[in-house]
Amino acid sequence: MNVYVCVGSSCHLKGSYKIIELMKEYVENNHLEEKVNIAAAFCLGKCTSGVTIKVEDEIICGVSPENFNDIFNTYILEKLN
Amino acid sequence: MNNLCTDIGFCSINKNGEQLCGDHIELIEQNENYIVFVLADGLGSGVKACILSTLTSKIISTMMANKMTIEECVSTIASTLPVCEKRGVAYSTFTIIRITDNSEAEIIQYDNPMVIMLRDGQNYEYPSTIMEIGGKTIYRSKLSLQQNDVFVTLSDGAIYAGVGKTLNFGWQRDSIIDFLVGNYDSNMSAKVISQLLLDQCNTLYGGEPGDDTTVGAIKIRQRVPMNLLMGPPSNPADLKKMLTLFFAKEGKHIVCGGTTSTLAAEFLGKPVIPCLDYIDPQIPPIAKIEGIDLVTEGVITMTQVMKYAENYIADNNTYTEWFTKKDGASQIARLLFEEATDINFYVGRAINPAHQNPNLPINFSIKMRIIDELSESLKKMGKHINVCYF
Repeated sequence: MNVYVCVGSSCHLKGSYKIIELMKEYVENNHLEEKVNIAAAFCLGKCTSGVTIKVEDEIICGVSPENFNDIFNTYILEKLN
Repeated sequence: MNNLCTDIGFCSINKNGEQLCGDHIELIEQNENYIVFVLADGLGSGVKACILSTLTSKIISTMMANKMTIEECVSTIASTLPVCEKRGVAYSTFTIIRITDNSEAEIIQYDNPMVIMLRDGQNYEYPSTIMEIGGKTIYRSKLSLQQNDVFVTLSDGAIYAGVGKTLNFGWQRDSIIDFLVGNYDSNMSAKVISQLLLDQCNTLYGGEPGDDTTVGAIKIRQRVPMNLLMGPPSNPADLKKMLTLFFAKEGKHIVCGGTTSTLAAEFLGKPVIPCLDYIDPQIPPIAKIEGIDLVTEGVITMTQVMKYAENYIADNNTYTEWFTKKDGASQIARLLFEEATDINFYVGRAINPAHQNPNLPINFSIKMRIIDELSESLKKMGKHINVCYF
């Protein structure tokens, strides 16, 4: 599964760095290194509602450290299972 | 006409406790092909020394730029400088370097430490003739230049560095040459060379310089063109024209901005491969596109570059950051400040709707201001700047 985190200007200012760190941490804690490939994306075109991530072809906006746990569970863990 | 150009950089520290520097560097660039550089060191320190060195360097550089002879310059200084009450002499030492067509140098030296010359990174002892003018012994040298020739001029504060503190006899010429040769890197700009040497002097002085210390460096280097693209054009119909012109230019190509790099990648028919590494959490990661030398995010990265540029022409104390770091802003700083001599900016004036969000500290006017201020700073570094708006 490919997961992209947007690192464009707007998303960067809204905290891409933190989201990438969280993503790496969650993937490691769930032992998904073999299944999930994390990459950066330059601009996913949803600048006004960042941080934006893309899971395969689905775009998810407004990711923050607060809702990260839910988003990870809904869009990544559940889909893998 | 050759493809060489002259890069000049200098910096000073004041004697501990003094507010004014008694050394003065004056630079006259009549055009690219005729440059006069004068380093003067006034007797004593503080106001008096400052006046003496400023007068000396101004008079000499103006007269030399008007092609007057060295004899006339020296006699004018001798009869113009105010005489020191305490010592009964009017005195300021000087070093003059005159560069013609980036291919010929004339060095005239009076009582300053002798100019150090590096050729291909090694010490080069150039021949001098001695002449007497008004009882002053003056050394004169003429030589033809090669690419990567470096001249380092010093005020005597440099060779006294560390006297009685870290070094018994000060920092002697041979040791300074060893330091310069040991730290030589053909990519270093004149400014970095002068800063490196001055920092070392300051360290030897233990941060409390016993004399005003000035280092000026002149480097003969190859012209290197560099091209930077930022922002899509305000009229989308101009995109192809803008990108065609940009990629047709000789030299390296830098593309800044998420949307801009996506468009450039489409134009080249190559994918954008963003890097995940946040080397500096403040600066968004870079990306890779085959055929483009560097791809970065736009406004945030360029704001940092602009700050580095402003610092570079002020006291240049952040060069240690950008000189080694691998984030986008540092990489652009190295390419523009160190490597390039001629920079072409291609600036698109499209308004990014995302940047108009009042919650974000970026907007359209900031983008335009970054380019204006960065261009100004780069011009002060001696770069040739060309900006095209689309």
